[in-house]
Amino acid sequence: MTAKRPSLPLKLLAPLAAFACTLAVVVALGGSNDVEMPDRTAGVELNIPPDATSDQRIENFQHAVRDGIGGADGYASLGDAYLQKARESGDPAYYSRADRSFDAALRRDARNFDAVLGAGTLAGLRHDFGEQLRRGLEAHRLMPQLIAAYPVIADAQIELGRYGAAERSLQRLLDLKPNLTSYARVSYYRELHGDLDGAIEAMRLAVSAGAGVPENVAYVQTLLGDLQLQRGRTAAARDAYTAALARMPTYAPAAAGLARVQIARGELDGAARRLRGVTQRLPLTSYLILLVETDTARGDEAAATVDLEVVRSQQRLLRSAGARPDAELVLFEANHGDPGAAVRVGRRLWAEAPSVRSADALGWALTRAGRPDEGLAWARRALRLGSKDALFHLHAGLTAKSVGHRAFAVRSLRTALAGGATLTPLQTRDARAALEALR
Amino acid sequence: MKKLSILAALLAVGVAAALSFGSSHREAPRIAKDPTADNTDVWAFTAPDAPGSLTVVSNWIPLADPAGGPTFYPLDENARYYVKIDNTGDGYEDVAYRWDFDTRFRNPNSFLYAAPQVTSVDDPDVNLVQTYDLFKETYDKSRRLVSTKRIANDAPVVPDNVGPKTIPNYSQVEAGGVTPLRGGGKTIVAPAEDAFFADLGTIFDGINIDKPGRPNIGLGNQGGGKDDLAGYNTKSFVLQVPESEVTRDGKQVADMKAGNAVVGVWSTTERKRMSVLSDARGKSKRSRAENWVQVSRLGNPLINEVVIPIGMKDKFNATSPANDAKNFGRFALNPEPARILNALFGLGIQETNRTDIVQALLTGVPKLTQIGKNPAAADTLKINLGVPPAANPNRFGVLAGDVAGFPNGRRLTDDVVDIELRVIAGALLSPPKNIPLGDGVDRNDKPFRSQFPYVSLANDGFNSQLKRTEPQHAPVPQPPPMQLP
Repeated sequence: MTAKRPSLPLKLLAPLAAFACTLAVVVALGGSNDVEMPDRTAGVELNIPPDATSDQRIENFQHAVRDGIGGADGYASLGDAYLQKARESGDPAYYSRADRSFDAALRRDARNFDAVLGAGTLAGLRHDFGEQLRRGLEAHRLMPQLIAAYPVIADAQIELGRYGAAERSLQRLLDLKPNLTSYARVSYYRELHGDLDGAIEAMRLAVSAGAGVPENVAYVQTLLGDLQLQRGRTAAARDAYTAALARMPTYAPAAAGLARVQIARGELDGAARRLRGVTQRLPLTSYLILLVETDTARGDEAAATVDLEVVRSQQRLLRSAGARPDAELVLFEANHGDPGAAVRVGRRLWAEAPSVRSADALGWALTRAGRPDEGLAWARRALRLGSKDALFHLHAGLTAKSVGHRAFAVRSLRTALAGGATLTPLQTRDARAALEALR
Repeated sequence: MKKLSILAALLAVGVAAALSFGSSHREAPRIAKDPTADNTDVWAFTAPDAPGSLTVVSNWIPLADPAGGPTFYPLDENARYYVKIDNTGDGYEDVAYRWDFDTRFRNPNSFLYAAPQVTSVDDPDVNLVQTYDLFKETYDKSRRLVSTKRIANDAPVVPDNVGPKTIPNYSQVEAGGVTPLRGGGKTIVAPAEDAFFADLGTIFDGINIDKPGRPNIGLGNQGGGKDDLAGYNTKSFVLQVPESEVTRDGKQVADMKAGNAVVGVWSTTERKRMSVLSDARGKSKRSRAENWVQVSRLGNPLINEVVIPIGMKDKFNATSPANDAKNFGRFALNPEPARILNALFGLGIQETNRTDIVQALLTGVPKLTQIGKNPAAADTLKINLGVPPAANPNRFGVLAGDVAGFPNGRRLTDDVVDIELRVIAGALLSPPKNIPLGDGVDRNDKPFRSQFPYVSLANDGFNSQLKRTEPQHAPVPQPPPMQLP
């Protein structure tokens, strides 16, 4: 059982909650060893059905904090429940609620482990990786024997491009507690380093380890599908996505994955239909772009135009709302907007999150802005870990081609097409055409 | 017009979503619960129908809703599930039983767990099939693994109890899962009603503070409690082996005074350690690749909950009982629950130097559950195999003079919640301090069986009903103090 919450000084315990906690801990739900923690929320936690949905958990913790039972721990648990709900629904309104909950918890106890860690996790979700790292380290100092801070620290280190430090954090996590959380992160680290088979091995372990929350399992099953797709194994990818949907029938990333399988198999009409369904539920930029490019490849320019306008408006609003720069935004601007602006955003992105993904985005923006010489240096930086990411290689290949590095271009484009099942139809077409031209 | 409104709707949701859900970085979940690794309880007893054998029940995967389709609750085929036995008193395993699982789908294109009708444990209508090999490991004095014997292979895990339409005769299917072992004895891995029984809600509401609509349960010794585990399933691993398979001298136990009579039992879960970069790329990291990491352990009930502070729980789960004295001894000696009870209710419970608790749970009760002369203080469930089963078991076990019960091993019917509350209050001190505390639940919701595998048959998904309330009864006083024979 992962230890989750710190205890509070005895004198602060409200009598009811404290007595409940004393006894609650000995009458834990789910066997004598299944209680979460002997803390002020133990009673609340234990009154929640074990298979409760996120909505039920939210409701329970809302009642608890309203009734003044939960204290800082209650607010932290409410914040965690909102974050899980956000993962499941894709509705970012839950981020603001989680934010307010963690704030409330920290106002009551600035050293509350779960609240510090929750605030760190949220910062990462909002792409404030510096804050995520700071909070993760702070939590680690509060409870150095607990492993819960390591995933937060490692996630931030990866996005900040501190891969050596991230490896050490992840190794520590893995040495102490191999489970879904640690295996999934190792898988991503291996993927970034171009070790797809190793990444698949680790993600399989994550799937088989499982978790108590269906979404968590659907998440790693979907990532396993994505990895299989990168290896060109469309049948294995389809199986993984289907398994995720069996676990969570409305899981948009798995449905989008099935659309990618259809694209890889040339079933563009079916893919477009499916993506339309996905984007109506959850209009994420990446799904919309995939839909736009699929529609373009099928010759349905009218549909593509409408959806492209949606994405453009999204991005305009994002900018005016002061959203933090993001690799996806940079690439969209470079491909479908103003490459000069993409370069400016890309530089800000690199300053804040110097990861290989940021390097790729900035490099491609420079190439699109007519500066492929500079772009090539960034493309090399994006590939410095040995990534086999098809998009990185596509960008590197097209950039190398335009500066006349023929061998580099051919090599990169071939790598891109080898992992081509993850590209959009238009990207695949561009890669093929460029390779053809290099013959 | 229609197009425009769709566009507006997409924008509204999409911008908000995109603001927060950039796809350009990964954010794996932080999980709070890890059910496939979560071993919740261990029981160890001499079954009346199997004298001369040690019987162990160990549960994994708590709180499984019987209706939990479509995949129900498979065990992790990449984990190692252990029941360990210390027969020398050093807190390290001398004998260890390891279940290794395999998973397959008979029809990979279907995600149905099973189709009507399933009439046997290996019925082809079961789609998700798990099997296991059981290994017996033995270790020498310097903790080196000296032998690994496969004592069962390709044995079937009993399928989950989907419901009467799919599995009309579940007990017949379950019976097919009983697997004989090389070297004697048998095992089964089966879903079962969770044999742990305890209340939370009534204690939370009832003790000291009445809640309208709920009867007062006083100190928790007059019924009225609600078994929060009732109706839930778990995976029970039941193992029954001749005493000679686990004793220090490899012989049967003559009587309770015999030098080989006491063994300590606990369960652990291990998962694969891996290096972050895999071997193909990593630098000389192969030694790490084959290692296993203990991610969970359990011996005596509730130690992790009552004794181990929050910041130490990961460490507790990762460490060996042999090091408990050094790592956690101070927490057992000065148990926090005693302080809390005093702070709230002024019960005058001794808060420090609780050698009675250390003895009952960690070093063993002299002449009853102590292994050898100078045993390590280790959280293992110690059982004296020379004590014959009680004709009329008392749920208070040793506290009521029934030395065949907890903390001499643990029978399924032992009320460990009440026992431990009373022990914390001082029942084992001399002179004893008798405060008849309890949780208002005295027994399991479903009766246990008198024959292997003893635990109650798994609840079925179709008729699933959760929780059960103990009828009210007259207050049960503190039983007379423990008297050793």
